Amino acid sequence: MENRLIITKYSDQYYPPSPTSFTLFWRRFIPFQLIRFFVLNWKIIRIVVKGHT
Amino acid sequence: MAKIVVLGAGVAGHTAASYLQRNLGKEHQITVVSPSVNYQWIPSNIWVGVGRMMADDIKFDLRPLYKKWKIEFLQAKAINFYPEGDAILQEGYVEVEYTSSEKSGVRQKIPYDFLINATGPKLNFAATEGLLPGTGNIASVCTFSHATEAWQLLQEKIKKMEQGEKQVFVIGTGNPTATCQGAAFEYILNVDFEIKRRGLDALADVIWITNEYELGDFGMGGAFIKKGGFVTNTKLFAESYFVERNITWIKRAGVKKIDEHKIYYENLEGEYLEQKYDFAMLIPGFSGHGFKAYDKRGSDISEQLFAANGLMKVDADYTPKPFEEWSINDWPQTYQNPSFPNIFAPGIAFAPPHSISKPMKSKNGTPIFATAPRTGMPSGVMGKVTAENIIAWIKTGNPQMVHKASMGKMGAACIVSAGYGMTKGTAATMTVSPVVPDWDRFPDWGRDINFTMGEPGLAGHWLKWAMHYMFLYKAKGKPFWWLIPE
Repeated sequence: MENRLIITKYSDQYYPPSPTSFTLFWRRFIPFQLIRFFVLNWKIIRIVVKGHT
Repeated sequence: MAKIVVLGAGVAGHTAASYLQRNLGKEHQITVVSPSVNYQWIPSNIWVGVGRMMADDIKFDLRPLYKKWKIEFLQAKAINFYPEGDAILQEGYVEVEYTSSEKSGVRQKIPYDFLINATGPKLNFAATEGLLPGTGNIASVCTFSHATEAWQLLQEKIKKMEQGEKQVFVIGTGNPTATCQGAAFEYILNVDFEIKRRGLDALADVIWITNEYELGDFGMGGAFIKKGGFVTNTKLFAESYFVERNITWIKRAGVKKIDEHKIYYENLEGEYLEQKYDFAMLIPGFSGHGFKAYDKRGSDISEQLFAANGLMKVDADYTPKPFEEWSINDWPQTYQNPSFPNIFAPGIAFAPPHSISKPMKSKNGTPIFATAPRTGMPSGVMGKVTAENIIAWIKTGNPQMVHKASMGKMGAACIVSAGYGMTKGTAATMTVSPVVPDWDRFPDWGRDINFTMGEPGLAGHWLKWAMHYMFLYKAKGKPFWWLIPE
């Protein structure tokens, strides 16, 4: 049983974007996520290294 | 021989102690004072709070490690600071009170040449009437024991839903000026994930309550990120995350009181409103520990060491100024106390010069806004630079603070878990660089847009999971621990 949110028009919940099934697929697609894993690691390491002297 | 006393064995304190012992060797004495014998990896508390990890998975006993490292460990808490000593002891010392069962309540003077105050925040539950985790339907994930209790309470609510009873889950901030929205944000997403995993979402109303002006503020004034061909704000990012999950939200809310069934809050419009709940996890306000400081004649000099909120004054610019004039130069770089240069306060223990988010007041004059976060990665970096400066001072005899780490220059990464699982899990990898926006250097977006991001996906869960084991490995001082960055 799924609880579908009934969004009231002009409420805060009415405006934000909601991901499409295509977007959700890429968020879970393991080969793509493996690549992102290494990219994110590299970005985080760079932030840490340049953050202090 | 130099005597270095570290108060606190959390991320900042334990990191500082680790680097001190590695670089100073046995000829100097390092003492760590902490009321608990455990080191805990706090970012994983949220997984304890939803039953995906046990408390023992996220903590370990520090005593064997400190024994191996020849670090003296005292299970005690700091009470009073005597930076000039007193009539009897002519050197700076800190008065501590033991918390171990065998010496509970016994006080002792601990002299030092260098003092690192890394005591973190006091979880000020008392600042919000009725906000007591473990009582009624109120939970917390601020400590591993709180998180364990949160999981027990959550299981009760899950059972009720399995019996067909509808439940309202309210998660967020429990004080008008609370910080650490990120932890609550993670917890609400994980609670929602666990409810949906059990197919109980039709029986759950999941509500976010926050003191943020807009969602995605996180006490950092929000951030701009690249997304879908646009540069957008984390407001949209956070709201999208909630809309995707059918989570509703209450923003600009300063929680004043909580009873067994209702949360009472004031909003920026000055309205006094109520929210019914069956399960609440609300982050308390943070404050200093109420330490006192005295000079050698016994006069109270607490104002020299501590700001009004009880946190320690460091090399920040505390001159009151309007939001429009705030600068990254207000933020400290070495965490050194200006009155007593041999005292340092890395991590949450230092008093920030001001918030990062714009201070807001309700029409009734109640401050309602998110205060500045200093947890996790920034705390570790501050602990490390503090240790490096003390090491350099001892080795050269020269008190120049070469190592610096300002929140206006350092970045931070926060992996926002939104569900546990190696194939079904997800998390948003959020990075900001720097933590405090630098509008002079980055006039368009306040931060380096190439290294400020928010990316949801399975990779984020792998990252958070890997960081859990990696940082516990580092904290345990396993081989080559120092190669792992903060």
